[in-house]
Amino acid sequence: MTSLLRIELRKLLPYSTFWVLLVLQCFLLFIFFYARGNVMVNGQMAGAELYQFPKLWMHLAYVSSFLNLIPGILIIILISDEYAFRTLRQQVIDGFSRANLVQAKYSVILLLAALLALYVVFLGLGFGLYHRQDTGNDTSMFSNVQAIFYYLVQLVGYMSLAMFIAFLVRKTGLAIMLFMAYTLVVERLIQWKTPDQIDQYFPMKTLGALTPNPHAEVEQLMLGVTETLSPLQALAPAILYVTLFCFLSYQLLRSRDL
Amino acid sequence: MADILDIQGLSKRYGAVQALDQLTIKVPEGSIYGLLGPNGSGKTTTLGIVLDVINASAGTYQWFGQPTSKSTKRRIGALLETPNFYPYLTGEENLRITADVKRVDHARIPGVLQTVGLAHRRGDKFKGYSLGMKQRLAIGAALLGDPEVLVLDEPTNGLDPEGIAEVRQLIISIAAQGKTIILASHLLDEVEKVCTHMAVLRSGKLKAQGPVSSIMAAHDLVFISGGAPLDTLLQIARTLPFVTEARPVNQQLQLTLRPETDSSELNRAFFSQGIALGQLVVRKKSLESQFLEIIKADSV
Repeated sequence: MTSLLRIELRKLLPYSTFWVLLVLQCFLLFIFFYARGNVMVNGQMAGAELYQFPKLWMHLAYVSSFLNLIPGILIIILISDEYAFRTLRQQVIDGFSRANLVQAKYSVILLLAALLALYVVFLGLGFGLYHRQDTGNDTSMFSNVQAIFYYLVQLVGYMSLAMFIAFLVRKTGLAIMLFMAYTLVVERLIQWKTPDQIDQYFPMKTLGALTPNPHAEVEQLMLGVTETLSPLQALAPAILYVTLFCFLSYQLLRSRDL
Repeated sequence: MADILDIQGLSKRYGAVQALDQLTIKVPEGSIYGLLGPNGSGKTTTLGIVLDVINASAGTYQWFGQPTSKSTKRRIGALLETPNFYPYLTGEENLRITADVKRVDHARIPGVLQTVGLAHRRGDKFKGYSLGMKQRLAIGAALLGDPEVLVLDEPTNGLDPEGIAEVRQLIISIAAQGKTIILASHLLDEVEKVCTHMAVLRSGKLKAQGPVSSIMAAHDLVFISGGAPLDTLLQIARTLPFVTEARPVNQQLQLTLRPETDSSELNRAFFSQGIALGQLVVRKKSLESQFLEIIKADSV
């Protein structure tokens, strides 16, 4: 797997599209978290409360989860490029198996998720330390940091879905549209007509449950109570979905001509 | 000699189109095997299947007597249809990826670039290459693992006459090292000049196969005249068992002999009938007319 990742890095590092999207994602994460803390609520900066450890990690994971489409789009571009350049085909001729193709892209997904999660941790430390109030109660900075781990799993989930869609439709534009349509619209429409007990296990809802809104009570007051899984409960089904998307990608590659 | 590639009853169907129909061929070790056919005859489909990127509808194939695997792939260097590289990477960076996929030492890259004449352009991006340079880089990539077998699909596509001559020279010099080469082409000339064996495909069906010399010799035409009136010659010729076809053409008699019949046998037969032929000319058909005949056969 590491040798596969090394090959992927040879393609990625000189690729400007990769850097543009990565920098954009990092920039937007910063802006989102900054903006959310600077909203005035009742003449008071929301940030003061938002940026306090250990609650900060949950807020950060929740805010960051709004930006999961960009890494997904990046994965779609990377895979549909390989179809456009016919390099998947060449790599199979040169010695890769179909499974290697999926493993290679999955290794990129893991790397990206890890990088973004790490970046978000640093972002949290930065904001947290900058806004730290000396309240005396010395809770550890890193309690509740597992929220970022759930965010990492969520990223892997979004990107695995993107990978599957890219392998399925092979065209960049179409894949991006399908990815956005499913994540933003289609599943919500299906959820609307499905009882909560069932739709809480739908892919997007499961992944969403990994980073719950820290103000869930307020949201439920306005939108009505819906049943969702806790992050811990959502972990197993989320990992199951990731496995499923990888397996389906592999089956697609096996059954079709390259 | 062992067979490098053994294809048994390979078929491929795309919807209503039968792209390949029960193809069975064997590629002997050390041969330069030409896969000849017009566009759409199934050459690329055949190579795509044996290179593991197209799934066959039916049939089997074996490389070196074993089913395809990572280890067989490393003994093969292949260029299928188009040069497939990352446009935003340089020629050298692209070859590094190929080398990693093939698990070949990067130390081989400069030598390969030299061989295909791209050493001075190694730092330029692939998208800036001309079609000929792209093709040469692809041949270079195929040579990277020092493979026992080279599979080349239309290797001279897009090359200028000089480039074509260079690639042919390259193929012949690689073959001289005892390597097997499988070459798909719609250019008869190319196959005639380079190949030792060939298979002719039309609409996915095998039309002829064997050593190039035997396919060429199989249908030689013999023209005879003199020694006796044309009618007499015709009558005698039609009684001979090894003459498959006889007809008068321009004051001469045009005969088609059975494969592997010597023209001296013909002369002897007439002499024993008391006729000394005035003229006996063997005209080898050019591969081109041969080819057209093969692909036209039972196309009606």
